[in-house]
Parts: sequence; C-alpha cells; structure tokens
Amino acid sequence: MGWADRLLARREAKPSPEDAELFDDAFLQRLELLQVVARRLFRGRQRAERKTRKVGSGLEFADHRQYSPGDDIRYLDWTVWIRLHHALIRLFEEDEDLPIRIVIDVSDSMRTKDGAKLRYAMQVGAALCYVGLANLDRVGITCASGRHHATLPAVRGKGRIFRVFEFLRAAERGGPTDIRAMCSRVSAESRQPGLTVVLSDFYDLDGAFEGLNMLRFRKHEPVAVQVLDPAEADPTGTGLRGDVQLVDVEGGPARDVTLSPRALRDYAEAHRRFCEHLEQSCRSRGIFLARAPLDVPFDDMVLRLFRQGGILR
Amino acid sequence: MTFAGFTLAQLWPVFAAGAAAITLLYLLRMRRRQVVVPFAALWERVTRESESRRLWRKLRRLLSWLLQLLVLALVCLSLGDPRPEVWLRDPVSLAIVVDTSASMSGAAPDEPDTTRLDLARRRAEQEILGLGPADRAVVIGASEEIEVVAPLSGDPAGLVPGLARLETHYGEADLSRALALASHVVGERPGPRILVLTDGALDPAAIEALQACIDGPVQCEVARMGGPADNVAITAFAARRYPYARDKIEVLTEVENLGDTPVKVVLEVEADDAPVGRTTLWLEPGQQKREVLAQLDAARSRFVARLSRDDGGAGGDGPLGLPHDDEAYAVVPPLSPLDVVLVTDGTNLFLEAALLVLDDHVRLTGLSPSEAREGRRPELREADVVFYDVGAETLPDVLPAAHVVLFDPWRHPSSPSPITKKADVVRPFLTEQDRSHPALDHVVLKDVNIARGTTFEVVPGDQVLVRSLGEPIAVLREGEHATVVIGFDPRQSDMPMRAAFPMLVDNLLRYFEQREAGFVASVPLGAHRELSLADLGLPPDGVGRVEVSGPEGLSTTLPVERGRFRLRALRPGFYSVTAVDGPPAGSSVELAVNQASLHASDLHDRIEALELPEAAQASAAVEAAPLSQGPLWTLVMLVAAVLVAIEWASYHRRVTV
Repeated sequence: MGWADRLLARREAKPSPEDAELFDDAFLQRLELLQVVARRLFRGRQRAERKTRKVGSGLEFADHRQYSPGDDIRYLDWTVWIRLHHALIRLFEEDEDLPIRIVIDVSDSMRTKDGAKLRYAMQVGAALCYVGLANLDRVGITCASGRHHATLPAVRGKGRIFRVFEFLRAAERGGPTDIRAMCSRVSAESRQPGLTVVLSDFYDLDGAFEGLNMLRFRKHEPVAVQVLDPAEADPTGTGLRGDVQLVDVEGGPARDVTLSPRALRDYAEAHRRFCEHLEQSCRSRGIFLARAPLDVPFDDMVLRLFRQGGILR
Repeated sequence: MTFAGFTLAQLWPVFAAGAAAITLLYLLRMRRRQVVVPFAALWERVTRESESRRLWRKLRRLLSWLLQLLVLALVCLSLGDPRPEVWLRDPVSLAIVVDTSASMSGAAPDEPDTTRLDLARRRAEQEILGLGPADRAVVIGASEEIEVVAPLSGDPAGLVPGLARLETHYGEADLSRALALASHVVGERPGPRILVLTDGALDPAAIEALQACIDGPVQCEVARMGGPADNVAITAFAARRYPYARDKIEVLTEVENLGDTPVKVVLEVEADDAPVGRTTLWLEPGQQKREVLAQLDAARSRFVARLSRDDGGAGGDGPLGLPHDDEAYAVVPPLSPLDVVLVTDGTNLFLEAALLVLDDHVRLTGLSPSEAREGRRPELREADVVFYDVGAETLPDVLPAAHVVLFDPWRHPSSPSPITKKADVVRPFLTEQDRSHPALDHVVLKDVNIARGTTFEVVPGDQVLVRSLGEPIAVLREGEHATVVIGFDPRQSDMPMRAAFPMLVDNLLRYFEQREAGFVASVPLGAHRELSLADLGLPPDGVGRVEVSGPEGLSTTLPVERGRFRLRALRPGFYSVTAVDGPPAGSSVELAVNQASLHASDLHDRIEALELPEAAQASAAVEAAPLSQGPLWTLVMLVAAVLVAIEWASYHRRVTV
C-alpha cells in the first residue's frame, strides 16, 4: 500500500461526527420529564396526552352545540332537554397526539469545521424526537439540502428513537443550502400540518425566510433553530488576514480578496444584520426563531433555549 | 567616507542582481491561501465594498518592495565596510590646553550671554567628538594652577563630561607649566599635538611659553577665542598711614581703562563696610587715573574699592568688562612705632627736632657717642634705625645690626662705614640728586652750602642719592640692613636750616619702615606666594605653623620655614593669618589679596603680535565621526536588521500582506 493509500485509509478511518453517540442515557432520562407543547391544538388521529377541541371520547366537558341528525344520541344532553326542550349535543375535549416534523439542514455549509454545526443540529433534532416520542407524539424527521432529501415517516413510541438515530447516521449529506425547496417539499409530504422544527444555519440570503413562511402558509407551526458557529459569525478574532482566495463550501466561483481587520469587522456586522433581519421577519409572522451558537453546551441549549421558546414544558 | 571592503564598482553589480531578484519575486503572482467559507454570498457582498481600496493595497506592496530594496542596499553598503576619513588617518595624541584665566570670562564675539570659555569648551568638545578610534586626548585647564579635567582617553563619553569642570579662575594662565605638562603627556605618544584654546589675553610669560611651544618639537596649534576688549580695572589699591599723623590714613586707587572706547565709571571706596569716598571718572581708552582719599580715620582697617558703570542714573550696574577686577581690597598696616636711636653729641638739635616731630611714629632713644662705642645699651640691639651724628667724636668700631644713617663717616681716618671714602672735598656743591628715589621725595638740595665733605667709592648695587659734580656724596647700600652715608656734617652746612632736612629724615625713616615688618598689606593672586611673617607684622621667632583663612571661609594650616610660608591665594579678598604655635601663638594679622594685574585685566589679544606661522594656527575642528569606534558596517547591518524585523512584524500582523 502506497503512501497515498495509507493517507486515504487514515482519512477513511477518521470517525465522522455523525457516527458518534448523540446522547448518553443520563441526558435521555432528563428529557423524559419534558413535554412538548404546541401553541395550537392540532387534531390527531390517535389518543395522546394533548387536548384538542374535537368532540370525542374525552372526559373533560368543553361545550354544547345544536343536535343535528346523525349525531350520536349518547352525547345528547338530557338535562337540558328536560328543562328547556333544546336538543344539545355535549362536546368534550379529547386528548390527541401532535405531529412533529424535525427538518435538519444537511447542506455543505453545515459541514464546515468537521461538521460541527451539523452534529450540533442532529443532536438537537434527535433530542426533540426523543421528547416527542416520549410524549406519545408522532415524530417524523427529514434531512434535506439542495441536493438530497430523505424523510423518516412519522413514528410513535419511545422505542423508535433508535430508528431515528439510524436514520440520522445514514442520511446523505452535502449540497447547497436551499431552505425554500426544503420546506416546500416537507410541506408537500406532510398530510397533516403540525409543529415543524427547522434546524439550519439559514445561510440562504433569499430563501431562508420564504421557506419558513411557506410552512406557515401550509398551516404548519414552524420553529426555526439557527445553528451558528461564533467563529464564522465574527471572524475578527480568528487571525484571518491578508490576500486569500475565498472558496464557497457549497461550490461556486472562488474569489480573491484581501482580508483586512476592517473587512473582517464589516463581515461580522453584515452577518449580525442578516441574523437580525431573519429574526425580525420571523417575529413579524409569528415564527419563533432561536439561535443556537456552538459555544453554548448542547444540553443547556435543549433545556434552556427551547424552554424559553415555549417548545418544551 | 571610504569603502575599506568591496569597492563601489564591485557593489553595484551585486545590488543590481539582488534588486532584479527581489523585483522578479514581487512580480510573480503570489499564490493565495484558500479559505473555505460557509456563507460566500455574504462575503461577496462585504468584499465588494473593499475593491475601492485596491490602489492602496498596490501602493502598500510597492512600499514593501522599496523596503526590501533598501535592506538590500544596506547589506551591500555593509559589504563595502564604509569608514569615515578620520578613521583612516594616523592616530593622534591630542592635548587640549584650555586657558581658564580671568580674561576667559569675558564676552564672546557676536554671541550674547556667551563667554570665551564657553567657546573654548565648545571647540574642545568638537575636537573630542572628532577623534578617531585610535586617537587619544587629554584636557588641561590652565589658570594660576594647572588642572587635568579629563585624563588621557579615547572615549568621548569620558572626556566630554570633564569639560564641564572647566571654569575661569582669578589671575593669569600659567601656560608655561600647562604646556610642559601637555608636552610631557603626549610627547612620547604617536601623533602628538597640542591645541591651545585661549583668548590671547596673556601675560608676557605665557606668550613666551606659547612661542616656545610653537617652536618646540611637538606640533602646537592655537585657536583663539577673542572678543570685545572693553574693560575697566582697578590696577592698584593701597592704604597707608601718614608719616606725620599715624592716626590718619590715605588710600590710593588706580583705575585704568583697558578698552578701546571711552567710559564713565563710578569709583566707590568703603572702609569697614562704610562708604568713605565716591567719585566719577571719565576715562579715555588707555587712560589711567589715580584717586587719593586723604585724611581718613586710621581706626578703619579694611578697605574695599568698587567700580561701577555710570550710566546717568539709568540703573545699569553691569560689570565693566571682567567683573572681578572691578573690586579691590586693602588693609591698613598695623601701627608699630619704629625704634630709633640717635647717637649724637647733643649739638645738632635740628636732627633731634626732626625725629621728635614723629613722636607717634618713632620711639626715639638718644645715646652719647661713648655709650654707643661701648655698645652695652640694649636699645642699640633692639633699634630699627640708628642715626650716627657724632660731630667731631669718633664712631664705634662696629655698627649695630640695624638700618644705619651715618653723617660724615670719614671725618676721622678710621671708620666702620662699609662704604669707603674716595676723596675729601672742600665746599662741595650738591649738583645731582636721584629724584625718583623715595628717600629724596620732595627733597630739594639745590644751593646747599657745605663747608667740607667726602665723596665715596660705590660698588655695583649701591644707590647714589646725591652727587657733587658727579661724585657720590650720599649713598645708599642695601643689604640685610640698609646703610645710608651722607658725606658731610649737617653742622658744617646750612642744610638743617632748610625744609629739605626734616623731609629727608622722614623719607629715610619711611623708606626703612617700608622695608620692615608690617608693610606688606596686599599681595597679588597666586598659587604659591612666598611671604614672610615679619613682613606681615608677626614676629617669626618660634612660629612653626600658621593658619590661613580665606574669603571663602576655609582655613588651612601651613608650615612656616625660617619665618616664611607659601600662601595659596586664588581668590581676591581678605585673608587672615594666625600664628598657631610659638610665642605669638594666637596673634593674627590680615592680608588683602588682589588681582590688580594689568595683564590679567587686559582683554586684548596679545597673540596677534606673535604673527603665528600658518601651521600654528588651528584650523576648524573636524566633523564628528558617526561612531567613535567599531566598524560602521555593524551599524548598517543593525539598521538592516531593524528594517527586516519591522517587515517581519508587519507581515505577521497582516499589515503589509
């Protein structure tokens, strides 16, 4: 075996971040205590621990409505009939499950620096899946980019978490970032709208907000989690100076530039303005956007930031 | 500047090749470092704005290129091993003799508030900074004393600080000793050279020493720092008691305008800090005036004379040239009456009367000729002056150890007179007299009738006071004691009837008195003035040490050898001399020390008259070498290293890339 083969073999032997264990048992135990709360009540096809306004076999009284032929007379309120001679049907709040869709951006922009951002996004996504499964919700997961798109159909039950892990490990990665196409396909696949959590860096100047807004348009409740590398957001402290050739990790022409401290400061300022604009746009449409910088420990992010966003309870 | 390594012709190709290589490297396109970014769209938006700064980046690369060429040029220069011309000449041993006499504190030409010594100091510094690596220099200050302010060294850092120790002193420059020292220091060393920095206001002895140095084997050059010569000085200042009224004093002050312009000055005299006289003097250039303050109270002992400029009440009190010759000091000699013995037969009452008039000044004792011949009277042994006026009587065989005045000593064939008789003269006429001699001051001997007399044989050293038709008839012989012989008997002349007789007696006594103790009341400045205790009025017997206190308040104890001691008086003022041991222990006398020297006060350049040869006139100082020692290429390489370090630091700080 030549030196090139040995070098190649060494590269292949290097464990990828996605192959590492996403969670340990202690962390999973802590997540079991949380419940996923949706801001809206969604109708589910199976009983779960979340209430809907659908009249059903629930135990908690919700409202009355006029009787119409064909209604189950078992729900007729006889007390009202005896007193007022009005035929009213009793409505009950029925506990239903919530469809949750986790969308993870697997584009090349998420794979810089040994895929730190992608690993972070997968850990967060896997945590959400586990919490949803632990609360008897139906959880589906999608790994998508401008080139690949893979979806794990919605599953239920905590024991399915290992399928989620397998799916994440096996998902194809790479390609350009295309939030709009990704969200469009996710909404088309979902027969029932629900809580859709998109984990991405949203490095898509035009399509980031449009994709999230499309989900909202399709009755989903989109939640955006922007995974950020602080060094990428503010490169002034990285020592990056001088004449360099900037290469886009997602392809495209290289660009010769001279990086001065001022240029780095300008980039940091432009990045900050981009994030603020995306956040403001989401807020104007009622879309919750949370920033997940890599320097915040993963478990803190799940427990703290998601609680602030009202996703966990 | 000379290249001791590669020549200029050899260096140019090296520089050209290096410059071409550097230029080629700069022309080659630099392979840029690739940086993978996740958000290229945002980077493109940001870097699009910096395109306008591309011109500055190109200029920055141009500056970097020029910096590299500069480093290359410095390296090529160091290969040439550049050396200043001063390093390539033969080593020089330089002795800088700086005149620090009083005149060097005079004003410098065209530079206000600058003295001649400042110019000399500046020139000496230039000479020192121009020394080559193998050169050595020594700096000697020459005033009344000689001082080596910077020992022989080749390090300017050690020599230049020594120049600050140069300061003017009172008195003259003892160039003779200074040049001898300089010649001794550098004479045996390679490239000996003596540089004299002076204003040229030197006394004849210094001029002579300078001339000898120029004619000597060691190269001697003179750099002159002359300037305005305006100066008014007190050239003499003395106080004395009146011979006839010892309780009264007269003070003499001599003022001279040594400058080239007329000046009006005010002369003030103080006695014991009380003003006793003030006068205004108008002095033409070169004019000298004497002012006498008469009839002053003898109770005062210290006198100070001061000169100041009379500017019509404008209030200006600046010095008249040199400041320290505008002030002079004098003390009144102590009053000690002379012990005078008159040996007489009692028939010349005129002589007795002339002596008795001086009763406060003279303690007169009369003796008969027989008593004098026996010699047993103690007055004779203690007498200061003995008058022998014995008439027809004979003189004693041996004269006493005192000043002696003999009238008609060769009346008899045998005589103790040390001055021998030449001839007897009948009716001699007094035809010539030495009017300049103080013994005959104001004495007129014209038409004196004399019955008989004798003339004398004189020997070299005798002073003929009066002659009779060319033959000495009154003679003064100096010695340990003075002897005055007058070749006629006053009784046999009409001289006692004349006013000249008591005046002659008084003049003689005054002359003797001035030879005696107590008349040295003022001495000139000097490093070593030998003084006699007796001259100061202190009995010298048994005195082994004296304590001298100067105007600075410092006291020094000096040894006394045979009644004499050496006084080191370098500052004008009053000095106190106190006997430490011996019978007069504790006795104290005062002494005034004055500059009072025409040469020290004359600021004119006396060297001009020497017509110095061209070789003895110092040319301008050489330019200071950039480095006093060590090869210059090390400095060049140091500069190149600094430039490379700056380039390295700026590159790694991403400033020049």
